[in-house]
Amino acid sequence: MLEQTGFVEVEVGPAWDTFGGARGEAKARAYEVYGYPFLARSG
Amino acid sequence: MNDLLVDAFVLREQVREKYREVASDPGGEHHFHTGRALAARLDYPATIVDALPEVAVESFAGVGNPFVLGDLQPGERVVDVGSGSGFDSIVAAGQVGHTGRVIGVDMTEEMLAKARDNAAALGLDQVELREGLAEALPVDDGWADVVISNGVINLCADKAAVFAEIRRVLRPGGWLQFADIANGRPVPIEAMRDIDLWTG
Repeated sequence: MLEQTGFVEVEVGPAWDTFGGARGEAKARAYEVYGYPFLARSG
Repeated sequence: MNDLLVDAFVLREQVREKYREVASDPGGEHHFHTGRALAARLDYPATIVDALPEVAVESFAGVGNPFVLGDLQPGERVVDVGSGSGFDSIVAAGQVGHTGRVIGVDMTEEMLAKARDNAAALGLDQVELREGLAEALPVDDGWADVVISNGVINLCADKAAVFAEIRRVLRPGGWLQFADIANGRPVPIEAMRDIDLWTG
């Protein structure tokens, strides 16, 4: 979606286990939800 | 014809209510981590976090760290989309210094009040908090060198509209650096239409 909206040079960094040990962990695990850093330049 | 999966207004109200709770009761029962433990989990440097008073960190509820792929530069102009209690705006202010500017935008009054108090207590006159929506940022065209955000865009019903708005406020060639969640396993369409799943 970033590229579709005009961003270029999109970079995605390594994941964090954002919800590990939190009350939302079970839902996060069900859909393999993790946090990620994104970097993109406005083209 | 609206092809969004959920009602944007209903979702926005539920998100606002959730983050009111995080502002007023950061240690309460939330489905996500908050505060210093979360900042450590997300690789924020202890040297930065430990120097901040508890009230400036306790309502932090990001999902990642928008600074890990690149530091901001002194003098840069930054917009923090969904700035919450101001934690990332404060970190950004430390990087851009007093010659830079940070505009934090949030839709939740309680979070804005907390962020304003935090910035003032820390003497960060380069930080300004404005009420607004990610889809309609109260920032001039092309003003920002960098837009940051943390765990906010996933809570917006129309993500394409948010990215278009971020491009509007960025100068040509400006950078978007943000953290957000992504799922590795497909979420069934009926679950994606369940608004409660979006907020907790």
